[in-house]
Amino acid sequence: MSDKQGVSRRRRNLVIGASCAGGAAAAGMATPFAAFMLPSQRAKAMGASVEVDVSNLSPGEKATIEWRGRPVWILHRTKEMLAAIKADDSKVADPKSERKPGDVTPAYAKNEYRSIKPEFLVVVGSCTHLGCSPQDKFQAGKESFAPEWHGGFYCPCHGALFDLAGRVYKNTPAPDNLKVPPHTYLSDTRILIGEDKKDA
Amino acid sequence: MAASEKPPIAATGPFAGILGWIERRYPLLATWNAHLAGYYAPKNLNFWYYFGSLLMFTLVLQIATGIWLTMDYKADAERAFASVEFIMREVPAGWWMRYMHSTGASAIFICLYLHLFRGMLYGSYREPRELLWVGGVVLFLTMMAESFMGYLMPWGQMSYWGAQVIVNLFDALPIIGPDLALWIRGDYVTSDATLNRFFSFHVIAVPLVLLGLVATHLVALHHVGSSNPDGIEIKKVKDPKTGIPLDGIPFHPYYTVKDLFGVSAFLTVFFAIVFFAPEMGGYFLEDNNFIPADPLKTPLHFAPVWYFTPYYSILRAITEKFMWAAAIGTIGMALLIIGSVKSKALRGAIAAIAIALVAGYFTLDAKVWGVAVFGLSPGIFALLPWLDRSPAKSIRYRGPIYKAALALFVIAVFLLGYLGTQTVTEVRTLLAQIGTVVYFGFFFLMPWYTRMDRCKPEPERVTS
Amino acid sequence: MQAGTGKGDVMKTILSALLFAALAGLGVGPVIADAELRLQRAPIDPRNTSSLQAGTRTFVDYCQGCHSASHMRYNRLADLGFSEEQIKDELIFTADRKIGQMMDTGMTKADAKAWFGTAAPDLSVIARSRGADWLYAFLRSFYRDPLSSTGWNNLAFERVAMPHALWPLQGEPVLEVREFKTKEEAEAARIQAKSFSVVVEREGESGGKETTRYVLQSINIEKPGAINQAKYDETVRDLVNFLVWLSEPNQVFRKEAGIIVVLFFAMLTLLMWFLYKEFWKDVH
Repeated sequence: MSDKQGVSRRRRNLVIGASCAGGAAAAGMATPFAAFMLPSQRAKAMGASVEVDVSNLSPGEKATIEWRGRPVWILHRTKEMLAAIKADDSKVADPKSERKPGDVTPAYAKNEYRSIKPEFLVVVGSCTHLGCSPQDKFQAGKESFAPEWHGGFYCPCHGALFDLAGRVYKNTPAPDNLKVPPHTYLSDTRILIGEDKKDA
Repeated sequence: MAASEKPPIAATGPFAGILGWIERRYPLLATWNAHLAGYYAPKNLNFWYYFGSLLMFTLVLQIATGIWLTMDYKADAERAFASVEFIMREVPAGWWMRYMHSTGASAIFICLYLHLFRGMLYGSYREPRELLWVGGVVLFLTMMAESFMGYLMPWGQMSYWGAQVIVNLFDALPIIGPDLALWIRGDYVTSDATLNRFFSFHVIAVPLVLLGLVATHLVALHHVGSSNPDGIEIKKVKDPKTGIPLDGIPFHPYYTVKDLFGVSAFLTVFFAIVFFAPEMGGYFLEDNNFIPADPLKTPLHFAPVWYFTPYYSILRAITEKFMWAAAIGTIGMALLIIGSVKSKALRGAIAAIAIALVAGYFTLDAKVWGVAVFGLSPGIFALLPWLDRSPAKSIRYRGPIYKAALALFVIAVFLLGYLGTQTVTEVRTLLAQIGTVVYFGFFFLMPWYTRMDRCKPEPERVTS
Repeated sequence: MQAGTGKGDVMKTILSALLFAALAGLGVGPVIADAELRLQRAPIDPRNTSSLQAGTRTFVDYCQGCHSASHMRYNRLADLGFSEEQIKDELIFTADRKIGQMMDTGMTKADAKAWFGTAAPDLSVIARSRGADWLYAFLRSFYRDPLSSTGWNNLAFERVAMPHALWPLQGEPVLEVREFKTKEEAEAARIQAKSFSVVVEREGESGGKETTRYVLQSINIEKPGAINQAKYDETVRDLVNFLVWLSEPNQVFRKEAGIIVVLFFAMLTLLMWFLYKEFWKDVH
């Protein structure tokens, strides 16, 4: 190789310059490979927002909508159900929905009923433990999993419990409240699931 | 180069500690020295020597873009065409990935043909590089198989009918033909079954074979060392103290840095094509392949992709009339060979073979001979080390006969290639037949004209 | 770089390679079209969004009844400057106006086969298989042919199964045929003709001798349509422009990105050249 004691300045600068340019070229060539793996237009279209008409949903009834491949529940809550929520404040792990703000509970659902309109609960019907779909247990009364049950959801996989606002009970395997998806009301009876309200 | 016999390489520099630790457990520095910093290549390698490293680079590019395309491509006759359009339109950077893969396929063949031509210019196939050369021809044939199967993937009209025609060639073989074709296709015609198995071969089986062959090719190269434009062996003149060839320079840093330049220049041209002319006038991405495959409708004119056109041309040239030329050629060759050998047994054998061949020309279908000649035409390169009897290796020291022969050969290849893209007419068939005769004449007559040629004396040391 | 001998053949090879490449570039490409028309260059501008929008409307109004563009999603039309409302209200005619759906057609393949004998091909990549120039010619060379099953025929595509979908715009074109003895006369007449015309060679016999006649076939509008000839040509131009966009929506971006990428790699090559020369100063 070179017989010189050190490396000439020109050589060193060229090596550095070429390495930088080569690195930029490599990064530039790698970027499309990374981008390729992002969701395609088809995935985005299939993951598009879903409009739901709840005018025919009677009090006490629950509708299930598919959004991004997961079930979204819309529960039309009765006055009794809304009262039961208050009574469960001491039983739930995160009564004010302070955990993971913005993620599990968007700002507009950070209230005592965890919803935009108190009469409609909109949550993703997926247990925050390991993803099973909890069962409806809306009747208040004595249950095998809870002696004083005010109504809510029971997950059969590992026994996680949620109240009628989707808040997770203390001492159950699930860590978080049921996730409230981004949604907005297009009218009193039309909910758009998948998008927050567009600010005018 | 057994590590147990030599003391471990001493690591120096700021990373000496960790390098030493590794070196005691894995021959990292030993490999670096043996194949890069301490591997000596001739110092006079020119433009024609870029294409080996470019082939490796392009192969890696094809594998990477291919793996990525496989994420969204659907190998199903009902969905393949649509999945390619899905990639082109709806996957982020999908069009770029597709164009890189399609341009890369043509780039591999351009580099491959230039790499092969270098061998013919400088006698790179001569002793002791025969196995290196034969391995290269096997790589060439494997690459043809790989690209042929890859071309079926988009499931366009060209894909479908190209596959149909080529698999039907196997059908033409006597006795075993139809069963063989059925076995290859997995069905009575090219269909979903064919697409699925070609996908499997194209994506994993043949690439593994290619990688193995490339490794073998590099091992062979490093064992004998690279040829050079003067055709002389640099290992013949070594420094008495160090044992290093006087005309050799370490591959690293000299050829690593030169190959970096080569790759950059290649990528400049490559991306110019990808971004501005990915179809290349219908040669790289054929117009007819944007029509979904229709088993009931053959396109009026179709041509194979450009890198197969010379052989396709040869295939079409083998007509019944051509069998007369073949017979004359065979008899002439037989007489030449008989005149050159002394052994009576060998003469007898040659005569018997010639008679059998000529009989076969007029009993078996011209179609069968077409397939045979078609198969022979790329494979015949493998015989070069034994056909070439010139004392000089490099064209620089050969006489005028070889230069004229090589020039004629190149013209014939271009002519055949061009004719392969055009429809069949009487004139074109005649031209293709002449081209075929020149093509095979170049090889079959080589032992005689290279011996006749008046060569210049080769130098002791490299000249440029 | 090289010593004297061997250069000649090398140069010859390089020149023939360049010639081959030049031929490819000039468009003397592989024979694929099945028409013998000499095609005029379609006067399209892929950057003209108003032309592309006009073409979209023509496509949706006149073509999509039979032809699908099933690889194109409606929401991509936003690239041409349409708003979401415009797409939903003016360009989608299905009952379910979802902007994320593909541009399919209402006509089923079975119906098309029964009515026309063959399914109307999907037009998503028609501009890549046929070419813009051929499409521009095709859409302007329909003529009334009482002998065909649809009542229409086409100079660019003999006995085409497609009827003249744009006839309300163009009017009723008929075929006018004039014969000439020499090619030059026929060509001169073609250049002079005000409408779309084509010169065809016909072999035949006249007085016992084989002759070649040169036939000028022109399209003439017998009954005018909704728009005049010039405006019709513009409509077809815009439609072809749209079809070219449809076949590769990324092409404008591709070419713009290409300029940056190629310039960068050219710069990188130059830098690598200096690096190579610097290291090779050691080699003598």
